[in-house]
Amino acid sequence: MSQAEVAAEAPVAEPRRRRVLSERARAERKLGWLLCFPAALVMVAVTAYPIGYAVYLSLERYDLRFPANTAFVGLANYWTVLKSVDLWWRAFGVTTLITVVSVGVEFVLGMAVALVMYRTLYGRGLIRTSVLIPYGIVTVAAAFSWQYAWTPGIGYLANLLPSGTAPLTGTWSAIGIIILAEVWKTTPFMSLLLLAGLSLVPDGLLDAAKVDGANAWQRFTRVTLPIMKPAILVALLFRTLDAFRIFDNIFILTHGAANTRSVSILDYDQLFTAFNLGVGNAMSVLIVIAVALIAFIYIKAFGTAAPGQEVRR
Amino acid sequence: MGLDHGGGQRRTPARVLAAGCIAALALSAAACGSGPSAGGSGPVTLAWYIFPEPSGSFAKAAAECSKDSNGEYRIDIHNLPASADGQREEMARRLAAGDTSLDILGLDVTWTPEFAEAHWIAPWPAQQAAQIRKGTLKPMLDTATWNGKLYSAPFNTNTQLLWWRNDLVDHPPKTWHEMLSVAARLAKQGKPHYVEIQGAQYEGYTVWFNTLVNSAGGKIVSDNGRRVLLDKNNAGLKALRVIYDLAHSPAADPSLPVQMEDQNRLAFEAGKAPFELNYPFVYPSAKADVPKIFKHMRWAPYPRVEADRPVHVTIGGIDLAVSALSQHKKEAFDAIRCLRAPKHEVTNAVKGGLPPVLTSIYHRKSFQKVYPFWKDILHELQTASIRAKTPAYQSVSLEISYTLSPPDSVDPKADLPLLKTRIDDAINSRGLVP
Amino acid sequence: MALQTTGRQRWGWIGADLLIIVIVAVPLWWLISLSFKDPSTITNGSFWPTKWTLDNYRGIFSTSLFTRALINSIGIGLISTFISVVLASFAAYAIARLEFPGKRVLIGASLLIAMFPPISLVTPLFNLWRIIGLFDTWPGLIIPYITFSLPLSIYTLSAFFREIPWELERAAQIDGATPWQAFTRVIIPLAMPGVVTTAVLAFLYAWNDFVFAISLTSTNNSRTVPAALAFFTGASQFEQPTGSIAAAAVIITIPIIILVMIFQRRIVAGLTAGAVKG
Repeated sequence: MSQAEVAAEAPVAEPRRRRVLSERARAERKLGWLLCFPAALVMVAVTAYPIGYAVYLSLERYDLRFPANTAFVGLANYWTVLKSVDLWWRAFGVTTLITVVSVGVEFVLGMAVALVMYRTLYGRGLIRTSVLIPYGIVTVAAAFSWQYAWTPGIGYLANLLPSGTAPLTGTWSAIGIIILAEVWKTTPFMSLLLLAGLSLVPDGLLDAAKVDGANAWQRFTRVTLPIMKPAILVALLFRTLDAFRIFDNIFILTHGAANTRSVSILDYDQLFTAFNLGVGNAMSVLIVIAVALIAFIYIKAFGTAAPGQEVRR
Repeated sequence: MGLDHGGGQRRTPARVLAAGCIAALALSAAACGSGPSAGGSGPVTLAWYIFPEPSGSFAKAAAECSKDSNGEYRIDIHNLPASADGQREEMARRLAAGDTSLDILGLDVTWTPEFAEAHWIAPWPAQQAAQIRKGTLKPMLDTATWNGKLYSAPFNTNTQLLWWRNDLVDHPPKTWHEMLSVAARLAKQGKPHYVEIQGAQYEGYTVWFNTLVNSAGGKIVSDNGRRVLLDKNNAGLKALRVIYDLAHSPAADPSLPVQMEDQNRLAFEAGKAPFELNYPFVYPSAKADVPKIFKHMRWAPYPRVEADRPVHVTIGGIDLAVSALSQHKKEAFDAIRCLRAPKHEVTNAVKGGLPPVLTSIYHRKSFQKVYPFWKDILHELQTASIRAKTPAYQSVSLEISYTLSPPDSVDPKADLPLLKTRIDDAINSRGLVP
Repeated sequence: MALQTTGRQRWGWIGADLLIIVIVAVPLWWLISLSFKDPSTITNGSFWPTKWTLDNYRGIFSTSLFTRALINSIGIGLISTFISVVLASFAAYAIARLEFPGKRVLIGASLLIAMFPPISLVTPLFNLWRIIGLFDTWPGLIIPYITFSLPLSIYTLSAFFREIPWELERAAQIDGATPWQAFTRVIIPLAMPGVVTTAVLAFLYAWNDFVFAISLTSTNNSRTVPAALAFFTGASQFEQPTGSIAAAAVIITIPIIILVMIFQRRIVAGLTAGAVKG
């Protein structure tokens, strides 16, 4: 259903229909709610309730090591987190860096892979199957493969480096490897979403542009990309938010050593090394806020094409 | 099954649990057992969670105690992860979640306050506590005590000595200052001159710092764990200066920032160092690996920070505690007393290389024969210092090793106030753990 | 277009195909290679095992650490997939077929949940679960898995349901079939591909998860394979369990490769349908 259709139809049709809102329409409405209720309930119960609970816990000094000293402390835990330049803000910077670089690289590679999947003349099934393998593989399993590949004395990649270098122990090289693992694992997802967008581009339009003398690059940037914009937005949004919560790869590759902690890893450590539920939950709430901000910025920047958004005029 | 327990949240936990168990049972008969059953006749089974001990001396003690209990209990050993952090995390998580299947816990010397304050371990009944205290090393008892109550029983211990080579040096240095100047002289002569010590960002670095602070007449935190005491006798500053001096002297091994005990051992065995501060395991190792260096390997007391102040080396080891959630506390207390009986302590020392906590054992001729450094070790153990005694020890230790890493970046004047703030935050659950 | 392809273009496409396949295959092969290496050769760094052995596989299947984790992974994955798909089918049917207010809110809200950072749920859930006794149990993992697979399930299923020619149902009834017959003989066969695809995607999610698995479990009771991998230990304290981890990683990758090979076309359709038609 196109947006124009919805917009044109809705305001006019509603009142007329409402007057004669038949028994059937009412029953349909009821059935719709009834059918959605269980799924909605589960989703809300397992996200909204805990996050509310997290907000509550984040306002307390609540440390499993000091159960007797539990007390309301207001926003003190947030202050603790936000003033921690060398831990929280560094983790935030590392997370942002990993997110920006990996999503950027994935976008370019994903587009290339999508074009290959869409246009290739040979082995289309084989290519799609092989692209799906990194998507499906357990992140932890893939992370171990990368870890061993870069471990001096074990790995084929580490052996290419001068002896004595341990790339997973240096901050920059470790972040580079984390990004590599992330890109390998998630480029397929990006490319599948972009493939969906590519299939919306009518061949006729491309042919017409060709007749008008546009070269391949011009056809791609002036015809294909604008039509793909909604799909690109979805792909970038999904992957950005997904990259921002990076955990598995870092946990296995470095466990946050050498200053490679993401915000998720840092939060995990507050919980399971310090058993400090107050500070841990404050950090959880901050991460949710950060994710919400990213989503908001995307939707603002890309306009109304956001998925699931109500069409308004 | 299926649909009906999808809405999880609305149901009582017990029923959700039951539903899950049915699901589990459908796939595997072994699922959801509530642990070994208690009632009935026959010995109760005690689950002993302890680090994986390679020599098998714990397993031997467990088997013998089970037999000697005359059907009172049977001890089952459960291996914890190899790393200390992993051990603590597994036990703490399970106890926090109310897991009743743990009975006897092997705790690192620094964990008793944490587990006691969180009500995860049960205090010893007064009468049995008195028996534990008798003849046991005082500093080890200190690690096992919280709020005046004995919560765990010292099981084995350890501490560091100064290892030196008499082909490079005439006599062992008495102080850090002397050691560093000897090393500088050796460096000038082009001889091996490193001082091997643990400088990586981990617990071992904190141990070093703790030894220095205590030997300078101070403490990291007060005995009740409420106040930072680094300023006492200016000890914090003096300790930082020693680290600074070493890191900026020719005595510093270039790989100091990544060195742990085993790297120190290897560097000493490679002939790079006249001095090494390490646990006694390095001695038999050198004997087996490098007889040429072993010939000149000697031991001496840990060097002092100040010439006129006795040294207080950090004590290490394991305490055994009974889980507060154990269903068989009485039997567990009995079992621990058996496990630390002198004959088992001797096996642990001789077979497993873990020094005993009962002072009397050090005076046995047979023990002295296999443990040549018994006299110096015993003296150090009796005057040893313990690490910061607070339930937040883990955070305090991480803050210390994090703030002081790498060693050559230590700036005594600037780092002291930083360290004090961070430790204060940690003991008040205000800080982030690094 | 195909007719105009020049030789150069053809080789270009083949080259691109091969490049993708190699990039995908290398890390996979490395795991397989490690898993078949004899312990004495595990540190030789060679890309191809010089001394083949099955010991690593025998080793992991002889410990309950791995076998229990495998049972947990399969059980938890299947149960959460089943519940998720059933709940999602109801919702997706309503979204695809019925008009009712609040539909878009539901889609939007479920998208928000799909983007939710799991670590932020782990901290409150850890406390909640330990208090109400769900910590380290199957339901303790199944509940979050259902929640996080629901958005994608609803999304893909409603895309599939929209494609079903529902008028066939009425046509069958006109031809004399009862409503039940029309539903079971006409609609269900048409809906099955979508349901199966959704189930595969939901299962992959549960199979893959690490954050919840490592945070909300502590023993073999409920630890799934990805979490158990982090707890493998070597024969001695100083020996890395490289071979065992590699073997276990290969084992949990096999079902994925099988699923992907069987359902390749449908997974691609499922993942892409939601993205453009939402």
